[in-house]
Amino acid sequence: MSLATARRELAAVFRKEVRQTLRDRRIMFLLIVAPLVQTVIFGSAVDFDVDKVPTVVVDVDRSDVSRLHARRLLADGTLRRVGERASVAEAEGDLDAGRAAAVVVLPRGLAGDLSAGRPAQVQVLVDGTDPNRAGVAGGAASRYLGEEGERLMRERLEAAGRGAPAQAVLTPRVAYNPRLKTAPYLVPGIAAMLLVIVTTLVTAMGLSREREMGTMEQLLVTPIKPIWLLVGKLLPFLVIGFFDVLLLVTVGTWVFEVPLRGNLLVLAVGVLLYVFSTLGVGLFISTVSQNQQQAFLGGFLFMMPATLLSGVMTPIRAMPDWLQLVTYLNPVRHFAEVMRGVLLRGAGVGDLWFQLAALAVLGLGILGLAASRFRTQLG
Amino acid sequence: MRHGPLVRSLVRIGAMASKETIHIRRDPRTLALALAMPLVMLFLFGYGISTDLDHLPIAFADQDQSEASRALARAFDGSGEFRVVTRRAPGEVEPLFRDGSVVAALVVPRGYQDDLVGGRRTPVQLMVDGADAVVANQVLTKADAVLRAESRRLAGAAFARLEPPLSAALWTRYNPAARSALFMVPGISAFLLAITAVMLTALAIAGEWERGSMEQLFASPVGRLEIVLGKLLPYLVLGLLELQLVLAFGAMAFDLPVLGPGWLILLLGLVFLVGMLGQGLLISVVTKNQMVATQAAALSAMLPSIILSGMIFPIENMPLPLQLLSRLIPARYLVHGLRGVLLKGNGFDVLWPDVLAMALFAVAIVALATRRFQRRLA
Repeated sequence: MSLATARRELAAVFRKEVRQTLRDRRIMFLLIVAPLVQTVIFGSAVDFDVDKVPTVVVDVDRSDVSRLHARRLLADGTLRRVGERASVAEAEGDLDAGRAAAVVVLPRGLAGDLSAGRPAQVQVLVDGTDPNRAGVAGGAASRYLGEEGERLMRERLEAAGRGAPAQAVLTPRVAYNPRLKTAPYLVPGIAAMLLVIVTTLVTAMGLSREREMGTMEQLLVTPIKPIWLLVGKLLPFLVIGFFDVLLLVTVGTWVFEVPLRGNLLVLAVGVLLYVFSTLGVGLFISTVSQNQQQAFLGGFLFMMPATLLSGVMTPIRAMPDWLQLVTYLNPVRHFAEVMRGVLLRGAGVGDLWFQLAALAVLGLGILGLAASRFRTQLG
Repeated sequence: MRHGPLVRSLVRIGAMASKETIHIRRDPRTLALALAMPLVMLFLFGYGISTDLDHLPIAFADQDQSEASRALARAFDGSGEFRVVTRRAPGEVEPLFRDGSVVAALVVPRGYQDDLVGGRRTPVQLMVDGADAVVANQVLTKADAVLRAESRRLAGAAFARLEPPLSAALWTRYNPAARSALFMVPGISAFLLAITAVMLTALAIAGEWERGSMEQLFASPVGRLEIVLGKLLPYLVLGLLELQLVLAFGAMAFDLPVLGPGWLILLLGLVFLVGMLGQGLLISVVTKNQMVATQAAALSAMLPSIILSGMIFPIENMPLPLQLLSRLIPARYLVHGLRGVLLKGNGFDVLWPDVLAMALFAVAIVALATRRFQRRLA
């Protein structure tokens, strides 16, 4: 077969697919508007920096000193005062009902103990249901009280004329994202996740639908070669994938102040290789599913682990070692690293060669495997 | 023998339900996937997902080259939280951030040891890769703690022996071992129920529209409402089974406690499921197309139940409009309710608002869905 016929066949299938997709406004809406809405909601809803933990204060001491410490403990905003109770038992009721997640108890005699030089303790009761939030709330309380304790100790030593001991202090300097906002970090990762939904799920279901309705067989009796049929079918999604990334990066920079530090060409190479693998997975799922329900569930069964083990939501370094090894097989992981590297750190090919190579291997491997299955199934 | 209209109606609903059950049973692969999903998810969340980091790789820039600065490097290395993987000048750190080989660099300035000996306050600089805000936050907290401990050690034995005049006594209730699995299991249950219920009903009913078999059903003497109820019933049972499966697995694998009454769990699950099935029905009536139905369900049920339910991210940290929006998401109440029953041992007296909120949602959405369903045909 000459190259010209191949090109003509490919162009014909491509035109048909584009027309079919464009005709269904609802699908277009879902491929373009839905990712946008999701990015905006995700980007504004998710804040890894836990603060405003609802806190009830039980001030049994009722002295100036206890009021001062309660106020300063809550001053940095990590803990937010939602009420005051006269007794610990009442405050525990708030924890039970979920009205509060932390209770600060300033015990009777706090002021007296402090002025008399006796060791005093402030009790902090946290709701451990959410370990992360409990850690943050407990950490904030012990940091403040620890600093305060140390300060008092130094004062006393100095007052006793023994001279203050040396002290090393930390002066942090945060690069790339000085205010440690979640959105600039999360939005590039979300883009990686949404591409899976848009490409893998849609391909898997679309091809299963053709199988259900029997239209695939109709296309096969035309003189078009299966391989060009396949390429023509997948090509529009590649275009949509590129378009979505462009859209999400634009929204990210506008709404969420995602910086654009690196070379967009590197990003484009990443998108291309990544979409190869997500389309490949979709194609593969369609070859093992009998209907759309199965294709959806299969796509979902891929999507959940792939996104959870991508490092988008939780750091990969926090996973057990054997699971960290498994994540090397996950295209979402590599693409999320490329997105973040290029956008946030200004990384180039030199820094990201490993991720790009991994994406290329995975993309071509998965797509090749799926395409050969697709061909034998039709042949 | 003649039966009343109610009995006859129940018989017709039963017939629809058994037809749908046959559909489900004919397709064992779908059923297996629907039941395997919870186990995969639980496994991943329980074992794989954690935000607690240790042995974070850092670079060490020693401009002091003294006994004290080497001791500081040892303190960081020995803390278990950090690992000094390379020694560099401060100017050479940035490439290491870009390729991700270190998360922070510790810079000890010239004169560190002299300052310490002289009893002065001496700064130690920490450069942090802030691109990953989660990691950066932990790096800051942990480095602060390591340096504080080192500072106390350097201050000498006299200082270390003193009891601090003011300190915190921390008590953690409900989940004292801080295990994320206990926190995640109730959330995952809500998420999985939302998916199974909304997605599978939406797909099953949209499939009938696509194939044109819905019109055939309408031609039968079965009423519209009966069709709906009959079709939803098997999925309700499937959903409740899934809930039991998740909780049983959670109890076995992660020692998930069940402190509250079991009937309350079932009640919460049941009310939630009815709402989700109604939502699936509404989606299928509006879209009549499985692919569109999937995306609509993903957008309206799956994502909100992850993001806005408080399953992973605390609701009070969200901006106000989203906090208000989360009040419309039934998953929020289920997550709160399940955590209350399982981990805190709450009873109906505490959790009735959750049940009420989900019941309101269920009534509203089922009414809306059946109305649209009936209008479609007229």
